[in-house]
Amino acid sequence: MKLEYSGQEKVQAEPEKVWRFVQDPHKVASCLPDLKAVEIKDEKNLVATVGVAVGPVRGTFKFNIELDPRPEENKMLVRLRGGGLGSAVDLTASANIIGQDDQTTLLDWSGVANVSGPAATVGGRVLDAQAKRLIETVFANMGQKMAEV
Amino acid sequence: MSVQTPNLEPKGIQGLGKPIKRKEDARFIVGKGTYLDDINLPGMLYMALVHSPYAHAKILNIDASEALKIPGVKAVITAKDLAAAGLSWIPTLAGDKQMVLADGKVLYQYQEVAAVFAETRQAAADGAAAVQVEYEPLPVVVDPYKATDPDAPVLREDIKDKMEGAHGPRRHHNHIWNWSVGSKEETEKALAQSEVRIKQHMVYPRSHPAPLEPCGCIGDMNKATGRLTVYMTTQAPHAIRTVLSLVTGIPENNIRVISPDIGGGFGNKVPVYPGYVCAIVGSIVLGAPVKWVETRTENLTTTGFARDFHMDIEIGATKDGKVTAMKVYTLADHGAFDAAADPSKYPAGLFSICTGSYDFQKAYAEVDAVYTNKAPGGVAYRCSFRVTEASYLIERSMDVLAHELKMDPAELRLKNFIRPEQFPYPSALGWTYDSGDYEKTLKVALERIGYYELRKEQAEKRARGELMGIGISTFTEIVGAGPSKDFDILGIKMFDGAEIRVHPSGSAIVRAGTRHQGQGHETTWAQIVSEELGLDVDKIIVEEGDTDTAPYGLGTYASRSTPTAGGAMALAARRIREKAKKIAAHLLEVSENDVEWVDKKFVVKGVPSKSVTMNEVAFAAYTNPPPGLEPGLETTYYYDPPNLTFPHGAYVCVVDIDKGTGEVKVRRFVAIDDCGTIINPMIVEGQVHGGLTEGFAIAFMQEIAFDEQGNHLASNFTDYLLPTALETPRWETGHTVTPSPHHPLGAKGVGESPTVGSPAAFVNAVVDALAHLGVRHIDMPITREKVWRILRQSGIDSF
Repeated sequence: MKLEYSGQEKVQAEPEKVWRFVQDPHKVASCLPDLKAVEIKDEKNLVATVGVAVGPVRGTFKFNIELDPRPEENKMLVRLRGGGLGSAVDLTASANIIGQDDQTTLLDWSGVANVSGPAATVGGRVLDAQAKRLIETVFANMGQKMAEV
Repeated sequence: MSVQTPNLEPKGIQGLGKPIKRKEDARFIVGKGTYLDDINLPGMLYMALVHSPYAHAKILNIDASEALKIPGVKAVITAKDLAAAGLSWIPTLAGDKQMVLADGKVLYQYQEVAAVFAETRQAAADGAAAVQVEYEPLPVVVDPYKATDPDAPVLREDIKDKMEGAHGPRRHHNHIWNWSVGSKEETEKALAQSEVRIKQHMVYPRSHPAPLEPCGCIGDMNKATGRLTVYMTTQAPHAIRTVLSLVTGIPENNIRVISPDIGGGFGNKVPVYPGYVCAIVGSIVLGAPVKWVETRTENLTTTGFARDFHMDIEIGATKDGKVTAMKVYTLADHGAFDAAADPSKYPAGLFSICTGSYDFQKAYAEVDAVYTNKAPGGVAYRCSFRVTEASYLIERSMDVLAHELKMDPAELRLKNFIRPEQFPYPSALGWTYDSGDYEKTLKVALERIGYYELRKEQAEKRARGELMGIGISTFTEIVGAGPSKDFDILGIKMFDGAEIRVHPSGSAIVRAGTRHQGQGHETTWAQIVSEELGLDVDKIIVEEGDTDTAPYGLGTYASRSTPTAGGAMALAARRIREKAKKIAAHLLEVSENDVEWVDKKFVVKGVPSKSVTMNEVAFAAYTNPPPGLEPGLETTYYYDPPNLTFPHGAYVCVVDIDKGTGEVKVRRFVAIDDCGTIINPMIVEGQVHGGLTEGFAIAFMQEIAFDEQGNHLASNFTDYLLPTALETPRWETGHTVTPSPHHPLGAKGVGESPTVGSPAAFVNAVVDALAHLGVRHIDMPITREKVWRILRQSGIDSF
């Protein structure tokens, strides 16, 4: 099941602060909702175990996450692959990091996810709403935590 | 294997035509049936399977280390382990081969990747969840029309360069076979000369029979004796025994297949599934019995699906409505392996019955089968080898033609029926129809429903803006496979056997190579023997499903039991009667020539007061046999039917459509079936009720759909609907009787007629209700949403 989302999140922090944040895998991982465990492989790769509930499919999913910051393009790319409970998720997301006149930063993001297995088949009718909420939560958490730094 | 419980209803001799209650129901309705999951053996292990989330992917690594740490988990096997035993791939019934566990790649979502064995069901499931599989996703083929694009991904790496398949040349790496019948040239010429021509594309979507009991198996290898006992939810235990012997190399005498009570089959329980093979291998390797019972999702996603035929038809006719020719092209989506359980000579099954009940002089049918990233299967769901698709195609198309000609669909059918005097009728596509009276059956149905009054009502309602439709289906089936000259599966001829043993006290045990799953054989076979031998029906026990005791037979599917095993049962009984006549003559102290069988007794000709019953003869067979005659009273008969049988029927459906919601309400449904001689009318009526309900589900509710990534969108009963009493219409049934001239009893089989015949009646009714809006065809399932969209697009927005 292919899912496509996009949105914008206004962060109460300057772009430099945002860049420092997104290049720190510890900080990025802390924005994942219901994070059970995280293993930082290096500055661009981490393995996160998160709690997932899509309809009747409930349990932990393990994701390999690759962070690909591209400051020269003012763009941050994230690739995620993994799954659990017989389901698989492949996600590619990007965010344009755009400085604003009022010392804030706009995250203009979009993502494409391919979901396979019971999360798509059994949880199909609720997956779209759940996934959208999950992604929105990630960016909202980012916005909040960036402002706190 | 069946154990009967006593039925308190006194019956005596109850032969053909008697609506006695089913003998087997006594144990079912009190929960005393013995299904596979009721069987528990000492030291038994449980198996769970690991399934692929991807529809097409390379397998990079399988790591079972975490699974093996779970308490109770004994072993995990993958394709590599099966390869050591030569069982990583097995032959399919269609001449292809299929992976047992994914070998290097997965070809459909939910494909079996590994098997976990454990001391408890829970530990096995936990173990399966803990197996880590690393995949590399590959491009997916879901649309059969794109399967043979030049740049379509290779699905079957194992045969990508093998351009000669089991059924002739393959023209693309995802092409399986091409099959055709009839004269293309003559048909095209006749079409070109026809005054009127219609063309229609229609899809019979992928569906699934979803029996309430899913599939399961217990492998029990006794290492001391070398004997393998397999308990399996199978409709064809003997065929399974032979296949197991061929695949494993275990001598057939050392394999016993027991098919216990089965909770619905509908063709879903004919093939050999990976779970069966893994449970058996597990038992052989681990030295303990291994039980595997599917989950509902496993059943819906991996076992035998039905249909998935994408059909284009062209029909020619004269202006006054006489059909001249038909040409059909079909693309068949077989999924990842060609595992359709068709007779060997017929890769598209009996689809060439698509000329139906009509006198087509010219016809041509062609089918291409292709591989896609979907589960294999293809002929399940109460369908005699693609007859369902053929019947739907012609019955839907006759309505399209009627619409084009502005003719009443009943009148068009009456004008084109094969007439009674034309039987035995040679069809343009090569069958010899045994018997039928199509006009009579349709007229009974039309009168019963009040057809012409309904047409007046429809005209009045249409004038008021109300939506009402009437749909007709006058189908002809082709069942009872089959005659050994044409019909075999893996070389085994499709005859069937029956054994009768009459005991000294006048009771009997009868056995057959068939295996019922709700068809009522324990009653029907007893009635045939009661009729033929004059024995009390309650003193006849019927046993099926144990290959150690039952005579060989190809099993129960495709409405074949009564046409094959029913014939065998009657002829076995007649063979017993021949011997019994000699004993009767001895008892009556007359010559055998002076004895005749009258009113279920042996009577001295011309002296009706001098007679003996079969009970007396049975006692004498063991206590006082005539000198020189072998004692005892038992026999086995293998019946090779001379032809198939051709049941038919006329179904008429009336629907009302809610303009606001698009809801279709089936107001009435009259089903007049002609299945030849009826053995038990109550069982036939029950079969018709069940089949109509399944036909209703297919027409309005059920579809195994996939998204573009090959995700299965109907993997549970929330997404794949079964009809309940709430939505099921009230069925009005009846029958005409046109016996089969070649069957020993004149019987033709009925199990599949209602599923074969009814979908077209439902769809024809809905299209008829919307025809004035320009609607000519709607593909099944006809959901409320589909109708609602048509109504909105047609500018109907008022409630």
